[in-house]
Amino acid sequence: MTRQPMIDEWYPVGLVSKLSTTGQDTMLMGQPVHVALGNGGEPLVTAQSRRFPVISRFGHVWTSLGEPKKDLFAIPEAYQPGRRFVDVGVVRVRCSPLRAVENFLDIAHFPFVHTDILGAEPHTEVQRYEVEIREREDEVWATKIHFYQPQAAKSAEGGITTEYMYRVPAPTCSILYKTCPPRPGEWDVITLFVQPLGEELCDVWPWMALFDDTTPMVDLIHFQQLIFLQDRSILENQMPRLLPLDPAMEIPTRADMTSVAYRRWLKRHNYTYGAQLVAQ
Amino acid sequence: MKLYDYVLSPSCYKIRLLAALVGVELTLRPVDFHPGGEHRGPELLALNPAGAIPILEDDDVLLTESSAMLVYIASRAAPEWLGDGSAREGARIQQWLSFSHRLTATLGSARLHEMLLRPGDIRGLQSAGKQALRELEAALTEQRLSDVEFLVCDHPTIADIACFPYVALAPDGGISLEPYPSIRLWQRAIRALQHFIEMPGIHRLHELRPAPVRPEQGA
Amino acid sequence: MDLATLAWKIEGMFPNALCQWVPVALSVDVPAATVSPGWLPGLELALWRSAAGHIAASSNRCPHRGMRLSHGFVRGENLSCIYHGWSFGPDGGCVRIPAHPDMTPPATINSQNKAVLEAGGIVWVCDSNPKSPPPDFHGLVPVRSLTIEASLAALEAAARAVADGKGLLAATIDGVRIHMALAPLAGPQLLAHVLVAADSTCEDRIAASRAAEAFRRMAEAMSPESAAA
Ligand SMILES: N[C@H](CCC(=O)N[C@@H](CS)C(=O)NCC(=O)O)C(=O)O
Ligand code: FES
Ligand SMILES: [Fe+2]
Repeated sequence: MTRQPMIDEWYPVGLVSKLSTTGQDTMLMGQPVHVALGNGGEPLVTAQSRRFPVISRFGHVWTSLGEPKKDLFAIPEAYQPGRRFVDVGVVRVRCSPLRAVENFLDIAHFPFVHTDILGAEPHTEVQRYEVEIREREDEVWATKIHFYQPQAAKSAEGGITTEYMYRVPAPTCSILYKTCPPRPGEWDVITLFVQPLGEELCDVWPWMALFDDTTPMVDLIHFQQLIFLQDRSILENQMPRLLPLDPAMEIPTRADMTSVAYRRWLKRHNYTYGAQLVAQ
Repeated sequence: MKLYDYVLSPSCYKIRLLAALVGVELTLRPVDFHPGGEHRGPELLALNPAGAIPILEDDDVLLTESSAMLVYIASRAAPEWLGDGSAREGARIQQWLSFSHRLTATLGSARLHEMLLRPGDIRGLQSAGKQALRELEAALTEQRLSDVEFLVCDHPTIADIACFPYVALAPDGGISLEPYPSIRLWQRAIRALQHFIEMPGIHRLHELRPAPVRPEQGA
Repeated sequence: MDLATLAWKIEGMFPNALCQWVPVALSVDVPAATVSPGWLPGLELALWRSAAGHIAASSNRCPHRGMRLSHGFVRGENLSCIYHGWSFGPDGGCVRIPAHPDMTPPATINSQNKAVLEAGGIVWVCDSNPKSPPPDFHGLVPVRSLTIEASLAALEAAARAVADGKGLLAATIDGVRIHMALAPLAGPQLLAHVLVAADSTCEDRIAASRAAEAFRRMAEAMSPESAAA
């Protein structure tokens, strides 16, 4: 597999709030990089003689090994007053970065993996929803998803039918919008920013922008860590590790329309770092 | 009782699990272990200078070792979890409580390395962890050959609770549990106990409830 | 002994492993309503037993999104995947897709079950049409299975004995005599099912389990390729 053209994308490599002058060694698509705070308080991403472009946004430091053709995607909700921003912290997963994103786009696993929190038997049915590749933004969108959830958020009291929207603005990033229990009419924003260390290893940086004035920050962090750690053992046990783009390899159903569109969009752009094109 | 707790900590989970199994109510005080490192901040260091959780407070009792907390909770609420009072069972429980600290140091450190990016000699941790698992497998196999399901006697004790969490989560640290049939069945027996609670990485035993017949439409 | 010779020796011991019965687990290690991992050469399995006691061996890969089925659960007569709960019957056919409760799953969705049978307290699996029944370990009963990270040659050297045509290695240590029914695992690893005489007492069986550990220590110490593991 090749790093092109995914090399020109922006990737998260650290939390802005945790930057230090000594810095941290990490990896991006097999390239060791160092993330540190410069003398002027600006984030620096370097490797020996090279210095990479940097953006500080959505709580994270972003960089690119290539030549980004566009700015990092926008999350307009991140500028809405009244939201609280939650740095959930990094979790390393031995899986393809693309498998990590695909799992994030999936709701059918809630009753079995996030039992009694994001789903519960017998409420397993996935109703028809809408999926499109928005050509102008060049993003995958899934909308009008409804699912019954016993505890949709830390602030939720009792079960509710939650509405979801998903957005894939970059090959290893996804944003979900879900019903916001304390503020009907608004959406909670939960993101999964994935740093591809290699094709079968990634650092996952969940981040949230929520309307919730009452729940302590540590509880918000722990709720999201709890959810993601329930997914981790799944992600580490999917075979093959690389995401198969060959439609014959795995069997989707109507509930997997988002995953199908995501795979199609990856293939269309040749975003194949972490993917497998033909069955091996 | 107040437990300084972290949702992803197997050591804290030992205390939550025993408390749930024996019906003791805990007041949880969540600690921002990751990414905040709150356990190394002034407030928690004043309670436990070792900079570790769990920490259990109950009136004038302050405990910073999970094994001691298991003894404390069982003594207060469920003495049968401490064995039958014989020298033999008492000592065997202590044997496993001590052994459980090897699990923390090996399986637990490997897990922190692989999951939360903690430094460490991962190969060394994994191979020492595997050695500990082999010892546990041998012991559990001998128990099964004597028709005993748990580590010390034919019902669960705090020995089982002390060892279960790091073992169940060993794969998080890249250490396979696949080679150990007796460990698999022992874990299953623990997970099937009435009032058992999970932690992330340990899935629900969905088979304990019947398959839904046909869901009612809507919620 | 060099690696090529070892590989040849393993092949010689399991000629055409693909059309032979392979001892994958002890029957008692897969009790009713449980699933456990298992291996054929080059193939991961999910071994499971239904609530009614029916044994089955599926591919360990869920056809939906590739999740290991050995992480799943057995409810009644079906094996379910832990990821999205797809359920498979004893013949491997998909019987339920929870996301679409009203849909009858297409007959093409299958967990790829292998031929399986139980004999002498051992679960035997075969990837294709077996030509003959599995060997009969007459007069022996199984004690436990363990993984040995060593080559067959190293284990034979440790045991000071050679495996016979049934894949059975007999050895004695400190007066304890055990048999090991061997199956190859990935890499230079073996799965050994420890067997003892059928009239052995509980103490004899525990002694046999310890004897197997001793042979494993010796074999692994001798096996350079497992030193790193
Ligand atoms: N005192 C030990 C400590 C258990 C332990 O290792 N706890 C971990 C969390 S799971 C910890 O606090 N580690 C401190 C650190 O890694 O900084 C016990 O109670 O068993
Ligand atoms: S991967 Fe098995 S049900 Fe989806
Ligand atoms: Fe999930």
